[in-house]
Amino acid sequence: MPKAALLLAAPLLASLAGIAQAEPFKCPHRGGDFTFGQEANVPSLDQMASSAIATRNIAMNIFEALTTRDEHNHPILELADSLDEAEDHLTFTFHLRQGIKFHNGKPMSSADVVASFDRYKRMGFERSTLDNVDHWDAPDAATFVIHMKRAQPTFLEQLSSFSVPIVIIPAEDRDDPPRQLKTIGTGPWQLVDFVPGSFAKLKRYDGYVPNPHYEDITGFGGYKQACFDTVTFRIVTEPGARVAGLQTGELQGVEDVPAKSAPDLKGDKNIVLLPLLNWWIQIMLPNTQAKPTDNLDFRKAVQAALDMDEIMDAASDGNYRLNVGFQYPGQPDYTDAGKADYNLHDPALAKKLLQSSGYKGETVAILTNKDYTSMYNAALVVEQELKAIGVATRLEVTDWPTSTERFEHPETGWNLYFTAWGTQPALGALATMQFLAPPTAGYWPPAGHDDPDVVAAWRDMTNLPSEQGRNDAFARMQKLVLDRAYAYPFGSLTKIQAVRANVVGFRPFRIPRFSNVYFRD
Amino acid sequence: MARFFVQRLLTALPILAMVSLITFGLMHLIPGDPAAALGGMSATPEQLAQIRHDLGIDRPIWIQLVRYYGGLLHGDLGRSILLGQGVAAATLARLPVTLSLSLYALAITLVLGLAAGIAAALRHNSILDQAVMMGAMFGISVPSFWLALLMIIFFAVELGWLPTGGYVPFLQDPVGWLRAATMPAISLALLQVGLLARITRSTMLETLRQDFVRTARAKGLPNALVVGKHALANALIPITTVVGIIITLLVSGSVVTETIFSVPGIGQLLTSAILNRDYPMVQGGLLIMTALLVLVNIGIDFCYALLDPRVRYDER
Repeated sequence: MPKAALLLAAPLLASLAGIAQAEPFKCPHRGGDFTFGQEANVPSLDQMASSAIATRNIAMNIFEALTTRDEHNHPILELADSLDEAEDHLTFTFHLRQGIKFHNGKPMSSADVVASFDRYKRMGFERSTLDNVDHWDAPDAATFVIHMKRAQPTFLEQLSSFSVPIVIIPAEDRDDPPRQLKTIGTGPWQLVDFVPGSFAKLKRYDGYVPNPHYEDITGFGGYKQACFDTVTFRIVTEPGARVAGLQTGELQGVEDVPAKSAPDLKGDKNIVLLPLLNWWIQIMLPNTQAKPTDNLDFRKAVQAALDMDEIMDAASDGNYRLNVGFQYPGQPDYTDAGKADYNLHDPALAKKLLQSSGYKGETVAILTNKDYTSMYNAALVVEQELKAIGVATRLEVTDWPTSTERFEHPETGWNLYFTAWGTQPALGALATMQFLAPPTAGYWPPAGHDDPDVVAAWRDMTNLPSEQGRNDAFARMQKLVLDRAYAYPFGSLTKIQAVRANVVGFRPFRIPRFSNVYFRD
Repeated sequence: MARFFVQRLLTALPILAMVSLITFGLMHLIPGDPAAALGGMSATPEQLAQIRHDLGIDRPIWIQLVRYYGGLLHGDLGRSILLGQGVAAATLARLPVTLSLSLYALAITLVLGLAAGIAAALRHNSILDQAVMMGAMFGISVPSFWLALLMIIFFAVELGWLPTGGYVPFLQDPVGWLRAATMPAISLALLQVGLLARITRSTMLETLRQDFVRTARAKGLPNALVVGKHALANALIPITTVVGIIITLLVSGSVVTETIFSVPGIGQLLTSAILNRDYPMVQGGLLIMTALLVLVNIGIDFCYALLDPRVRYDER
């Protein structure tokens, strides 16, 4: 059996085997209106044209894709019933699940899948996923075939990404402009009303057909059932107001409870706190085109000076886990390769490296922003730790768009840039390490002078046929990046979600999922 | 009078042209662009460049300027980059929210501010006067976001009288609107109440010392008539000027209040647009708001003529 088919078939077979013993999920209680306090404004519900988490929060309850990820981030089938991969790995044949209907009542067919891929290729935010695809076609109403230009071992991993998924829409909406897509999907929830900046209201889609290969929800797929009558996402950007809404019962669930409010809420018997471990990896990137961070010894001196506990404590108000690498602990690809260069907190070594780097007291510009408090707080601590070893620093605080734009222009005088990677590490090593690989390497190697060892490791990560080979290449690349101080990962930040105590089945996840969740009688 | 209005409207045109040019220039001068907002933290530089190309913001600035003014001349304010919605439609959809909140806050301001100011002036140097001035100082000094959060904790969480936030359109549910808008309106109004009370007090004190007030009292007119008809009517001209400024402050001050109480108004819309560099939304939204405030000021001028018969705009 071809490898990719195995990849998808493993959880599939397991769940099929389970059907004989376990009943599919059935809502113990149906009804009720759930209101969720969301922290960020939703720019648009066009899931193809937005990578905003706020969009995904809502849209992933409405739309579905051919493939997605399970609870443990494995690719699984969603709207496809089965998948055949050709022996030469150049053709993927998806057999669609039958009886699926869109929220407008129209049955889904392969023509809709073709239209969805066509639209994504034109305006999808991650349309580079399809760069190696030669074409696609639909030999019959229930079959969709992707023809590759050349074999790509990681294609299914990329296709199942939930970052900006290729969601399936009705064919007649194929020409909707970006961010103006009609919100009609196949998921268990359908849109009732959306007022940008205020709320989005969904209702249970009674025509929903759950995936029979599973018994329960898993990740973004599985056996999904809408138990509430309606779910309303209310935009509450002020953290204090979100907490107040949860306390009064106006909101039945919220995301991002401030760490300082958590102790008070813990004592409230009406509220259940749900820590979402590994929300993002807090990280600092050096500018290797600017002095003095172009010097390896100087970058190593910075690395030696850092105390990750102090930095993460300030960044997260104590809600963190130290994490050496670019995957979250527990993920299949996780490795601690390079741990010898992590969390050294050795000022003596740092001073020695500083001396050998020839550092002459140049001011190091630390670029951070206040839109994300954790990045700002982390920068404050790093600044003090660098001052302690004798580095002259200048903190440059901007807003997020300015910070991003300056990061893209290494000639604008910054040395250390603060950011965080959340979704990409959750998607896997491949999605994460693209940030450190040419042509978009985040540490900015001078043009034409990419680190050949890093480049070789990245090529192996993307091209080696065996999963083990690719994982080994990832470990090699992570070790190289840390050894040469091309990035300084600090640790993983925990985000706290919370629900009222009468809410059953809400499990913390990268987006709030409202299927298979219900009110206790 | 009609001639006056036409003149004022014509003088507003260069103001609007200047505002549009300044807004366009400022938005393109400040670093950052909408690609960062659309791409989020996970976007690679390659993806950001792709977004810029898709949006056309990688084109020379003069081409963008010509397109912008070309659209304006055709009555097209453009399309919001983030919302994918027409700028005019997005702004006008939120205008009633901000206006209703501002009018509610204005009503609170006028009732409390005028009453407190008049009472303080009539009881000059009394305990009441001192209390009113202290209250006014409190209103002016206290940060509105702090007051808003305190009100949420007290009235929503502790007492459960009012909702923590959100908005209900007045026509859909007047009682729901009143419950949802009361705390935002109070937090918005408190600063202005203090301001108006102080202005009213000082203006009334000055007016009450005038000869015509003394004459009115000497004629034996009742105190209510002296204060209400003679003193207040004369004090209203400077007060009206302040009310014009207060209306501007209420609309522009709605930014913080709308954010804390999750009210989907203009303030929240424009703040989000500025932070995310949604150029068309900021440019168009500010243009509409400027036009609105110009109209408010013309309305204030009209009020002068109603309040003071000596003011006649059509006389030469």
